Amino acid sequence: MSLLQLIARRLLQLIGVLAGISLVTFLLVHMAPGDPARLMAGERASPETIAAIRSQYGLDLPLWRQFLTYLTNLVSGDIGLSLRFQRPVSQLIEQFMWPTLFLTGYVLCLAIPPTVALAILGARRPGGIADQIIRLVGIAGLTIPVFWLGIMMSRFFGVSLGWFPVSGYGTGFAGHLHHLFLPALSTAIWLVPVLTQSLRAALIEKTTADFVTAARAQGATERQIFWQTMLPNAVLPTLNLLGVMVAFMIGGAIIVETVYAVPGLGTLMVNALLGRDYYVVQGLTLIFAVSTVLITLMVDLLTAFIDPRVRL
Amino acid sequence: MNSFSGSRTRAAGAVLHGAALVAMGLCWAVPAFADDAIRIVSPYQTTTLDPMRSAAAGNIETYGQLYSRLLRRNSETGALEPGLAEKWEISPDGKTYTFHLRDANFSDGSPITASDVAFSLERIRSDKKSAYPAPLGAVESVTAADPKTVLVTLKSAFAPFLGNAEIWNMGIVSKADVEKRGEEAAFASVPVTSGPYEVKQWKPNERLILEPNSHYWRKGYPKSDATVELIEVASPETRIAMLKAGEIDAVRAVPWAQVDELKAVDTIDMRLEPSTTIYMTLLNHKREPFSNLKARQAAGMAIDNKAMAKAITRGYAEPANTTLPGSVDFHDKDYPGIAYDPAKAKELLAESGMVGHEVKILAAADAPSQQTALLIQAQWQAIGLKPVIVNVDSGAWWDATGKGDYDAAANWWYNETPDPDLAVRWAVCGSCGSNSYNTFYANPKVDELVEQGTKEAEPVKRAEIYKEIQKVTTEEVAQIPLYYAPNAVAYSKRLQGLKLTPRCNGPWKRRPSASDPTQARPRIGACP
Repeated sequence: MSLLQLIARRLLQLIGVLAGISLVTFLLVHMAPGDPARLMAGERASPETIAAIRSQYGLDLPLWRQFLTYLTNLVSGDIGLSLRFQRPVSQLIEQFMWPTLFLTGYVLCLAIPPTVALAILGARRPGGIADQIIRLVGIAGLTIPVFWLGIMMSRFFGVSLGWFPVSGYGTGFAGHLHHLFLPALSTAIWLVPVLTQSLRAALIEKTTADFVTAARAQGATERQIFWQTMLPNAVLPTLNLLGVMVAFMIGGAIIVETVYAVPGLGTLMVNALLGRDYYVVQGLTLIFAVSTVLITLMVDLLTAFIDPRVRL
Repeated sequence: MNSFSGSRTRAAGAVLHGAALVAMGLCWAVPAFADDAIRIVSPYQTTTLDPMRSAAAGNIETYGQLYSRLLRRNSETGALEPGLAEKWEISPDGKTYTFHLRDANFSDGSPITASDVAFSLERIRSDKKSAYPAPLGAVESVTAADPKTVLVTLKSAFAPFLGNAEIWNMGIVSKADVEKRGEEAAFASVPVTSGPYEVKQWKPNERLILEPNSHYWRKGYPKSDATVELIEVASPETRIAMLKAGEIDAVRAVPWAQVDELKAVDTIDMRLEPSTTIYMTLLNHKREPFSNLKARQAAGMAIDNKAMAKAITRGYAEPANTTLPGSVDFHDKDYPGIAYDPAKAKELLAESGMVGHEVKILAAADAPSQQTALLIQAQWQAIGLKPVIVNVDSGAWWDATGKGDYDAAANWWYNETPDPDLAVRWAVCGSCGSNSYNTFYANPKVDELVEQGTKEAEPVKRAEIYKEIQKVTTEEVAQIPLYYAPNAVAYSKRLQGLKLTPRCNGPWKRRPSASDPTQARPRIGACP
C-alpha cells in the first residue's frame, strides 16, 4: 500500500470519526444536568432571565435543531461561539493550545532518552541487578499519583528551594522551559516506566528472533546486531504506544495542568465542562479526535519509514 | 471557599458560592512599584464584563474594579457617601430621589451624563437578561431630567434604596458605547469603564489584566500605577504554593486547613477578614421528610453547629444563630438559635412519622461542602433518618435545587449590603421569586413582614420586624443555620504597599465579641 493511499484512507476515516464524536459529545453534554444560562447569570437570576438567555443563545430549541445548526456551521468550518465568553471557540482553543503542545513536546524530550537508555540497560541482562532496580523504580514512578507528585514537587522545588515556578506558562522560549519543567517532569516520571517496560520486553523478545540468529550466523558483531537489527525491530510497538500516549497527553493533561495552573487545553476543558460551555466542549473534543487521528497517522508513517515490511 | 484537592473534580466553585454578592474594590493603601503588577489569585472566574449579566462571585469582583456607582461606601466608617452622584434629595413621601451628578468621565474620556445613568439602571431593572434586578424592584422609573440630574421614582417608599443603588451590579456603563458597538461587542473584551480600572487584556478562563483608568473621577485613585492581574486558579493547593513561592501577592479563599500554616510564614500576612457570609443547610420544603415541620425541627436539633464550625473551620467561624448572616443590620444576636438536643430530635422525628425516611443530601466537590455533608449525614443517621450523599458539580447542584430534586444541601451565601432586605428576599421569602433560596419555604406572614420592612423608615421599628422574621424562620427551620465564617485572605508581604483594606466595607455590624474583630463584608478592597 502506498503512503498516499494510507493517508487518503486515514483522512476518510477521520470524517467518520468526527461525525460520530460530534453526535456523541453533543448528546452527552446536552443531556447532563445543569444549565449554562444559570451558571452565567448566577444564582439570583430569575427564571424569566434564564429563559431569556436560553432563547437568545438558541438553547430553548429542540435538540435535533440545535444539532443541525451545529452541524451546518461545522461543515462550513465554524466550530461556534463560546456561550460564556461570546468569543469564537477556535480563538479560545488557539489561546490554550500552545502551553499544552509545548508541554507535550517537553515531556517527549524528557522521557525518550531515559526510556531508551533504561530499556537497553535492563534488556542487556534480564533479571540482573540493573534490570531489577529499573523495574522497582519504574513501578514506584507508575504508582505515585500524578497530582500528589505534582503537589510535592511544587512544594519542594518550587516553594522550598525556589528553583522552578509553581504555576503558569512564562514568556519566551526560556520562560516556557523554566515554567513547564515541573509539569513535564511530573508527567515524564509516569511515562518513562510505561515506555521502558514496553521497549525492554520487545528487546528481550527479539534477542531470540530468527533474524537475530541469522545475523549472528552471518558474522555480525553483537554491537551491529543490537543497533541495526534488534533495536529497530523492538522499537515499533513502543512507538505505537508512544503515539497513544501523546494523543492522551494532548487531550488529557488535565491533572498536571490543574496542579501547576498551566493555561492549557486540559484547563480549558475542565472549565468548559463545569460551566456547561457546550460549544467549547464540543470543539475541544473534535480537536482531540483530529489530533489523535493525525498522531496515529504520523506513527504509521514513521513505522513505515523504519520498517520496510510495512511498505510492502 | 472552594477547596478541591487534587484531581479532576475541580471545585464546584465559582457559582456554588452561594449568592455571593459583593462589589469589591481594590484598595492599595500605598503605591506599589510603579511598573509592577499586583497579582491576585482567586478560584472565582470572570465570565462576563457586563455588570447586568451576572451575579456570580468572580464577576462581582471585576465589576467593582471597572464600574462606579451613584454612591459608594466609605471604607473606614461603612457610611454611604457620594459616588458619581455628588448629592441627592429625597422627596418627603420617600418616593422620588433626585441625584445630582458630578463632573466625571468614562475611560474613553467622554462625560458621564444622566442619560448614561438612566440607561444603565434601566437595563438592570427591566432588561430580560438582567441577572439581578431585585435591588431595583421598588423602582417605577429612572429618567434623566437634564444632563446632570437623574430622577428615580419609586412605586412606594423603600428604605434600603440608597444602599441598593450602591451595590456591585449598579455600575454605570456608557450608553453611547453600548449602542454603538452593540451589547455583546461592547463588553466582549475591552469595555468603556467608569471605575478605577479599565481592562488591559482579558484572557477568559485564565486571567484579567487591569490598568488604572486615567479618567477616573476620584483624583489620586487608584493609588498605585501598577496593573492588576486577577488570576483564576481552581486548585487551592496551587494557589497557596504560588503565594509561598512569591509568584503572586494575594490569595482569596484560603482553605481552613492551611490558615495556621500560613500564619506561621514570615513573608505572608494571613488575615481573616469579617464577612457577611453564612454557611447553612438548605432543606427542601416541597417534599417529605422536610415538608414536615417536626421533621425539620428534629433535623435542626440533631446538628451540633458549634462542633461543626470548630471542626470545619478550625474554630475560625462562629456558630450561626438565625437564618440571616450575622453581620447584616438588625441581626438578632440575642436569639438563642436552634438548640443541639439529639434526644429531643429523636422524639420529634418519631412524632413526625418520618423515622427511617431517606434523605438526599447534595454535596459539591469543595472541602467544606464534603465535610458538612458527611457530618450532617452522621448526625441525622443518629436520630433515625436515612441520609444518602449525592456528589454533584455546581451545574448539577443548581439544576437539582432549582427543581426541588433534593432534600438537603449545604451551601453558603453572603449579602451584598448591610441592609437585610435583599437577604430576606433571597433566603426566606416565598413570594419574592427566589423560592426562599430553592427551599420552597413559604410563610405568608414572613412575606408580609418582608414588605413591611422596606416601607418602615424608623430603624427601631425595622429592627423589630427583622427580629420577628428571624425568629419565625429559625423556629420553623426554613434552613439550618450553621456558622458565620470570615473571609480567609492571605497577602504577600513582598510588596510593601499592597493592602486590601480590611474594613473596606464598613463596620456594618456592631458585635462586641472579641473573636469577631470587625464585621463588614470585606470587599477586598477598595475603596476607590
